[in-house]
Amino acid sequence: MRMRLGVVCVAVASLVVAGISGCAADGENGAGSAEEPIKIGAILSETGSYAGLGESEINAIQLEVDAINEAGGVNGREIQVIIEDDGTDEARAVAAATKLIDQDEVVAILGATGTGQTMAVRNEVRRAGIPLVSMAGGSVITDDFDPLVFQTPWPNRLVVPYILDVMAEQGWTEVALITDAGGYGKDGRDVILGAVDEAGATIVADETFNPGDTDMSAQLTKIRAAEPDAILMWTAGSEAVTIAKNRVQLGIDMPLVGGPGIARREFAEGAGGDAEGVILAAGKILLPETYGEDTEAYQVVTDFIGRYEERFGEQPDIFAGHAYDALHLTVEALKRLPAEFTSEALRDEIEATEGFVGMDGTFTFSADDHNGLTEDDLFTYRISGGDWVALDE
Amino acid sequence: MELSELLQFAVAGLKNGSVYALVALGFTIVFASTGVINFAQGEFYMLGGMLSVFALQALGFPLVLAVVAGVLATTAIGVVFELLAIRPRKDGDPLALIIITVGGSILLQSLTRHALGPDELPFPAFTPGPSILVAGAAIERQTLWMWALTAAAVVALTVLYRRTAFGKAMRACAIDRDGARLMGVDTRMMVTASFGLAAMLGALAGIATTPLTQTAFNVGARVGLKGFAAAILGGLGNPVGAVIGGLLLGLIESLSVAFLSSTYKDVIALVVLLLVLFVRPQGILGRREREKV
Repeated sequence: MRMRLGVVCVAVASLVVAGISGCAADGENGAGSAEEPIKIGAILSETGSYAGLGESEINAIQLEVDAINEAGGVNGREIQVIIEDDGTDEARAVAAATKLIDQDEVVAILGATGTGQTMAVRNEVRRAGIPLVSMAGGSVITDDFDPLVFQTPWPNRLVVPYILDVMAEQGWTEVALITDAGGYGKDGRDVILGAVDEAGATIVADETFNPGDTDMSAQLTKIRAAEPDAILMWTAGSEAVTIAKNRVQLGIDMPLVGGPGIARREFAEGAGGDAEGVILAAGKILLPETYGEDTEAYQVVTDFIGRYEERFGEQPDIFAGHAYDALHLTVEALKRLPAEFTSEALRDEIEATEGFVGMDGTFTFSADDHNGLTEDDLFTYRISGGDWVALDE
Repeated sequence: MELSELLQFAVAGLKNGSVYALVALGFTIVFASTGVINFAQGEFYMLGGMLSVFALQALGFPLVLAVVAGVLATTAIGVVFELLAIRPRKDGDPLALIIITVGGSILLQSLTRHALGPDELPFPAFTPGPSILVAGAAIERQTLWMWALTAAAVVALTVLYRRTAFGKAMRACAIDRDGARLMGVDTRMMVTASFGLAAMLGALAGIATTPLTQTAFNVGARVGLKGFAAAILGGLGNPVGAVIGGLLLGLIESLSVAFLSSTYKDVIALVVLLLVLFVRPQGILGRREREKV
């Protein structure tokens, strides 16, 4: 209901705005004196249910903008990132996009934090013809392809087959699912159900929960009765902690497996001893040593982690990494462009990204792949002592 | 289905149900004294958890003291909220007051987000240890705490309402405000007290749940909604009804996971709620509203 209302709002808003502005949007963006900074917009969830993610993203962007400008900016011009809060709300995300496009006249938009908000602002982005680099992990963002939209996290269609293979290697083929009924979990569940056959696995239980549920022991009791080899949990929410705790309290000893959504300190530490042994797939930023200490990726990642820790007093999480990548992919493309450029040229230049080493992996975009990551950018972790270690360690 | 499994579903249902019951009690107490649905009730649940975590982590209080501090601080916030936001609206127009509580809810949530941060925060179990097995069903120690606190709250409320002059005054105020005022009851004081009590019950539920779930600035709204549904189910304004409504709602949810589908458990719970209201519009134990001519 809420989503449908959101879609209607977006549709109405974009119709109205398109009617007013006509085709004025396709102007030159690069024009301006050398002193004027290049403006990039960012739509992030500073408040609302994704506030925990948005905060890391904002931190990362502020850190990196300062670093880029100190190093001379882009072709002699400073960059300025204008951050708008979407409150984890689709309608506010659209309003933020409109403001960034019409008032601030940004050359590109970074964000949104969430999948729903990213999908909601696409119409605005299309109207303006500027690129959007999303930090949300839903597969739909790049599956439902839009030439203007790019995505930095590992989408479910990449992570799910990877983790199912890891589980098959362990001999866990009878899998019980427990997924978040919200956007990220639902996207993950759809991908899992489509990928199990190829991985040689079967789903023996398929339970969901709603964001904000405070107890999962009913679902877990049902899962226990189905006697799976392992439980696959797909969520980015704090409910993962409840699942881990309920599982231990119910005496369920089958392994619990998850995706990047649980690669958060709040899970590894917040669940206390109950997250011990949980297995998850995510990028290598959690354990940069996995790159090998003489690689470029190791240098880039540890440099960012060091600077982030110095300024904010805590380790960057994967969301900070998503934001780093979104900003740098855009800035690198800008650097390759002449002083005067069109939105179209910027989009083409981002699409031409090849072998960019970021936090989430090595990005190589193409005309039909706007995520550009591969299974090589993923790694399997086990939670041990409230921290991440390699699965076989 | 084995008996032990069925028992496990019942335990899960009654665990959630006790949280809904405490939140529903808060709705009911405020409704009885003001005729208003307090949409900030869920935020009291959130504040109970967040402030206890703050007392434990930032102020270094020992666990018991942190819980007491969290609950008392939330109670104080409930009282201040009434004095600053509800009392100035002298005509007591229910619609205006309801909108005020909605605003209060947003305000409390935003303040908490900016003061204590956006992240989920953990709180240790009151008494750590493995769960207790009863006929094959595992009962978490924290669940026992939740039940004990709910039971204690119900007993304390009953004593307050039936045995003390203060409680009797609150009841009188609920039955007939003007009549109570004519009899010398300070009805405005009773409204303030009801907000304090409601905040205390919400905070109790919040901190009792936090060891199992973590807490964050935005956990209030959903629990508030469930508590509201439970209060309606039991009969708004009836404390016993609120408890029965809460436990029943929890049980319905967990049994629909057991026998139907976890995806639709909220839908099923709401359908049951609607069916009950269709047969008994005043709720299970509610008094039928008489048309006054």
